[in-house]
Amino acid sequence: MNPALDQWLASCIRASGTLGCGVRLPDGTCVSRSVHEGFPQTHLDETLRCLAELSPVFSGQGLFPRWLTWAFELGQIRVIIRSDGVLFVLAVQTNSLAARNLDALTGEFFELKLAD
Amino acid sequence: MDDEKHFLETIRPLFAGWSKNTWRIEVALSADQALDILKGSQFDLIVVDVNMPVLDGVQFLSILSRRYPDLKKAALTGLANEEKRSACLANGAELFIEKPRSAEGLKSVFTMLDELVTWRPQTGFQGMLRRVNLQDVIQMECLGRNSSILEINDRKVSGRIYIEDGRIIHAAVGSLAGEAAFQKLLALAAGAFQLQPFEPPPARTIEGQWEFLLMEAARVRDESAQPAADAPPEPARILETPPADGLPSLLMETLICSGQGKPLYQWQCYDANGRVELLKKISQYAARLGRLLPLGKFDRLEIQLHDSRAVAQAKPDRLVYVQAALENGKPTA
Repeated sequence: MNPALDQWLASCIRASGTLGCGVRLPDGTCVSRSVHEGFPQTHLDETLRCLAELSPVFSGQGLFPRWLTWAFELGQIRVIIRSDGVLFVLAVQTNSLAARNLDALTGEFFELKLAD
Repeated sequence: MDDEKHFLETIRPLFAGWSKNTWRIEVALSADQALDILKGSQFDLIVVDVNMPVLDGVQFLSILSRRYPDLKKAALTGLANEEKRSACLANGAELFIEKPRSAEGLKSVFTMLDELVTWRPQTGFQGMLRRVNLQDVIQMECLGRNSSILEINDRKVSGRIYIEDGRIIHAAVGSLAGEAAFQKLLALAAGAFQLQPFEPPPARTIEGQWEFLLMEAARVRDESAQPAADAPPEPARILETPPADGLPSLLMETLICSGQGKPLYQWQCYDANGRVELLKKISQYAARLGRLLPLGKFDRLEIQLHDSRAVAQAKPDRLVYVQAALENGKPTA
């Protein structure tokens, strides 16, 4: 696991209202952090795989998203796709501090230097 | 094409079944065999194992791209890494997939390949675009695998971007060439452009994937976006017509369908069927996410693109897709 990424993931889950987060690397490796018991790591890993699978559906339609926000009744899932293929997913409660922090974390993720 | 006979024997009946026998599947254990099969009849898609003896998958993709430019190509590997991914995509693969280790994984691979094989770029339309930016034009040329020269001018600079078979191969503006020139041209706030017939460039200075080049250009433009006092940034215009009554001037596309996907209203939606399929996929994936994570009912998907934002809603009684341009990096609709 890249130490910078590990440290950054740890910082992502500090804001109140964070439910869980995770990263999928281009080699398919998934690393996730669960914060809420309803969001276990196995489900977060599966969520990462599921969302990675969806990428070609968008590119097939000529859409190349910088990020996506899946808005549900009780929470949101922010999905960010970097040009190096690293995908980040963050689940937060609606109207929480974490939800207000989504755009700032998105910017940080794009700037995060992952090269060893 | 894969040198693992057992793998081919496993996937052939599975893929045939999942496609409800709409796919005709041929298998090859080597590049030679694959080329012989391709000579025999027309195919929509080839899936190439990257780690092949004698002629590896990356070299084979390059050969295929030259001989069969219209054939869709997917690369499959047991050991995926960024280097292989870049090499495969640079040599013409539309999709790079890690070889699955489970039946569920194989189903996902099938789904991705089915998406790839059923997708058709729109061709043959003629019309007027109210306004368009350079990214859109380059994206259209690359997706259509066209060859052309995009001449770009504003009051101060004049440059060219060379696109060959859907790849950006060279850019020049003033004394700059290569990616620096490309980024400078894409950073222009306004101007005019013309698509000219392709001619070989004086040099080939760009090798990167066009998607990444456009992403980088969008990032650079976002970062450097400064509202100018005298001339607010605006996309390049090729033809100006007044917006339709009642529609926000930056609205780009609208599609409203019944829950079954029957279009009820569309505006500037040039691939309604494609959008309906996208909305249906979004609905399926929202249901999957809802089963994995206790988040309640799905409301909408917000899609942040480089210069626009789209909102997709997939409800039992309606499917909705709206895309609007961003003004100074902020959503307007």
